[in-house]
Amino acid sequence: MTFRQALLAAALSFAVPLAAHAAPKTDLVVGMAAQDIGKLDPHLAVSTIDRTVVAWIYNALVRFKPGSMSPADIEPDLAQSWEFSADKKVWTFHLRPGVTFQGGYGELTADDVVFSLTKSGDPKRSAFSADFAAFEKVEALDKLTVRITLKQTLPSLLGILTNYSGGFIVSKKAVETLGDSFASKPVGTGPFAVASLTPNQSLELVANKGYFRGAPKLEKISYRFMPSNASRDLAFQNGELDVEYGISDQTWVDRTRKLPGAVVDVFEPAEEAILHLNMAQKPLDDIRVRQAIAYAVNRPELQRWQGPTVSRMPASVIPGGNLGYAADAGLLEFNLDKAKALLAEAGFPNGLTLKVVHTQLPGMLAGMQVVQAELKRAGINLDLQVVEHATYHQMIREDLSAMVYYSASRFPVADFYLTQFYHSRSIVKTPTAVTNFSHCTVADAEIDAARTEPNDAKQIALWQTAQKKITAAVCAVPLIETLQTWVHKDTLDYGYELKGSLSLGPLITELTQFK
Amino acid sequence: MIFYVIRRLLAAVPTLLAVLTLVFVLVRIVPGDPAIAILGDRATPVAVAALRAKLGVDQPIWSQYVDFLGKSLTGDFGRSMVTDRPILADVAAVLPHTIDLTLAAMVIGVALGIPLGVMAALYRNRAADIAARMLSLLGLSFPVFVSGIFMLLAFALHWRIFPVIGNANLADPLDRLTKLVLPALTLGIVMAAYITRVTRSAMLQVLGEDYMRTARAKGVPWRRAVWRHGLRNAGLPVVTVVGLYFGILIGNSVLTEIVFSRPGLGKIIVGALNQRDYTMLQGLMVIYCFLIVVVNLLTDLTYGLIDPRVKQA
Repeated sequence: MTFRQALLAAALSFAVPLAAHAAPKTDLVVGMAAQDIGKLDPHLAVSTIDRTVVAWIYNALVRFKPGSMSPADIEPDLAQSWEFSADKKVWTFHLRPGVTFQGGYGELTADDVVFSLTKSGDPKRSAFSADFAAFEKVEALDKLTVRITLKQTLPSLLGILTNYSGGFIVSKKAVETLGDSFASKPVGTGPFAVASLTPNQSLELVANKGYFRGAPKLEKISYRFMPSNASRDLAFQNGELDVEYGISDQTWVDRTRKLPGAVVDVFEPAEEAILHLNMAQKPLDDIRVRQAIAYAVNRPELQRWQGPTVSRMPASVIPGGNLGYAADAGLLEFNLDKAKALLAEAGFPNGLTLKVVHTQLPGMLAGMQVVQAELKRAGINLDLQVVEHATYHQMIREDLSAMVYYSASRFPVADFYLTQFYHSRSIVKTPTAVTNFSHCTVADAEIDAARTEPNDAKQIALWQTAQKKITAAVCAVPLIETLQTWVHKDTLDYGYELKGSLSLGPLITELTQFK
Repeated sequence: MIFYVIRRLLAAVPTLLAVLTLVFVLVRIVPGDPAIAILGDRATPVAVAALRAKLGVDQPIWSQYVDFLGKSLTGDFGRSMVTDRPILADVAAVLPHTIDLTLAAMVIGVALGIPLGVMAALYRNRAADIAARMLSLLGLSFPVFVSGIFMLLAFALHWRIFPVIGNANLADPLDRLTKLVLPALTLGIVMAAYITRVTRSAMLQVLGEDYMRTARAKGVPWRRAVWRHGLRNAGLPVVTVVGLYFGILIGNSVLTEIVFSRPGLGKIIVGALNQRDYTMLQGLMVIYCFLIVVVNLLTDLTYGLIDPRVKQA
């Protein structure tokens, strides 16, 4: 054996066992389309940027099975069991014993749950207080038992208490001790805890070794704020990111799928883009004009534009996948001749012009421009006043637009979307306003009746009737449903099949690991 | 000299006050409610009103102004409306990144721009001049979000010399330097393009002056005449441009910061504007204004070093 051969053999003898026993990576790097994090107080976390990471830090009484957002998949989380009264107005939850908060804030007790749910329902301390309007009281019966009493039955109390928005449970002691700082130094019971935050740069999380479901397999998560789509793509391609927030666009999906080792995730919830027609303004108070708009919208064309992988055609005025969804709501199909005839009948044989406030946010602006081109073919001209996004939100709430292009998803039970977008209580510029931009009032009775209907089948039937009535009155014209799009390395195993996530990003659990 | 500096700093106070007032008014006349931006689309009017009260934006405008001025003068910029984090802490966390990038870009701009500009003037209308002018035009024509992406494609993806993500660990000098190279080059090339043009035009003017001819007639070597007499006299406009551009770079490097995923003042300003984070915007503007005043002062002091007549005046 020559010296060279001996050297090679020695090198191999070291390298082979090393390769065989190379431990998988335990630090995860996630690239998010963000300038910075907002608030990590879960009851004030409203942006996708905040919501995605909040779901890794906190738990709720109940949770959606990871990877699902179907109400049928709700399972115990911090509560290990529960029971309710015959009229479903009194609910008793039994907490899991031995659950501890991160950062040495002690054991979870019923007091923390009472504090959290009371905070969620307080408009001064929560962005989701409207969801808790039916709560009469939340009380601790003993250290591990909580009772919730409702003023009226809710279509899905468990839905409100899931790991989504106001349902997250915080540490009472941490909130009271940290005060305003809690928003950047959150304390939950989840699998990952915040270690440090570098403004404008990244949020670093570490595994919560004492997590009640077992220590997470990942040690660290680096959540990087990267607003440039191109730079995120390049960083993923270069192996610097393991998970990336994607773009809901067919070209991006096709291009990314070709990258070696890339797995594109397209999942629920779908955000439904809807054109809300302001029936309080002329000429949209005339149903013939609204019908003309509905006939002029070409949904198949919109789907071709957005791409078949990332979008689907809506069939109702609420997103598909909602409990109580009407797949046969009776949307008017594209028919240019009918659109023109109806316009002429309404006194606009030469077409009409509508002033519309719209956002300059690229994705929404492009969608609106496609709709603008479609309506123009029928003689309906949209005079778009394109404004900065925050200005758009203010102006549409001041009722300043003839129509509002709005894209949203809600908790997947029909009541939420129907109430917030089509109930008279939610009409903009009223004391109880939410997002009813159309001034629609035709389905109030059905929406209210469904909320307290004890029979499940009848409740669903009421919701479906509501959708049919809203569709018939053309309060709004559904355009397209767009799904969430992310990409991850094929060496990363989330630990579940990602079909849906209400936090709008992949849930990183104690089981998530590199292969 | 000390009195001169003190006089200049005192003269900056009214400017600072005017800027504070302007910023205060501007951020409030832009439509858009910070409470809606913070609470999202599911918040009730009660929640929006409660947050407006907490943020103090429901107070009369004059009351907000007095409060803002009083706190600014005592160095209390408060907390961000959106993140609830102290503004000074956020700015302090990103300022080193901004200073790194600005200084490095300036060094590259000066190191490339001045020699190129001098060479272009000396070889006017010859190949070297045309090449320098074309390079300068290219530098000015490529927006940083295009040249930045090209840099990433070439040096990060193809040759894999530098990383795509440029958010450096400040405690690690090597990491800091490695992640600075591409963004500084991207921004420095634009600055070099400006400096080349200004230097060329200033040098062309100076080269035709009588004192240059006299220096040559007295037997001063050409090279020495150009660098010592020519460039020194052409220096004032160049320093002016460098000073101005340095000030602009501090806030305007936002596109570079976005492309290279670097933290920085520019990125914070854009984020605060999008979310109507009044307190953050105000705090940033005060800090930004202060930096500009300091840069202008340094520029003026440099004038005195280059041209003693300025100091005497």
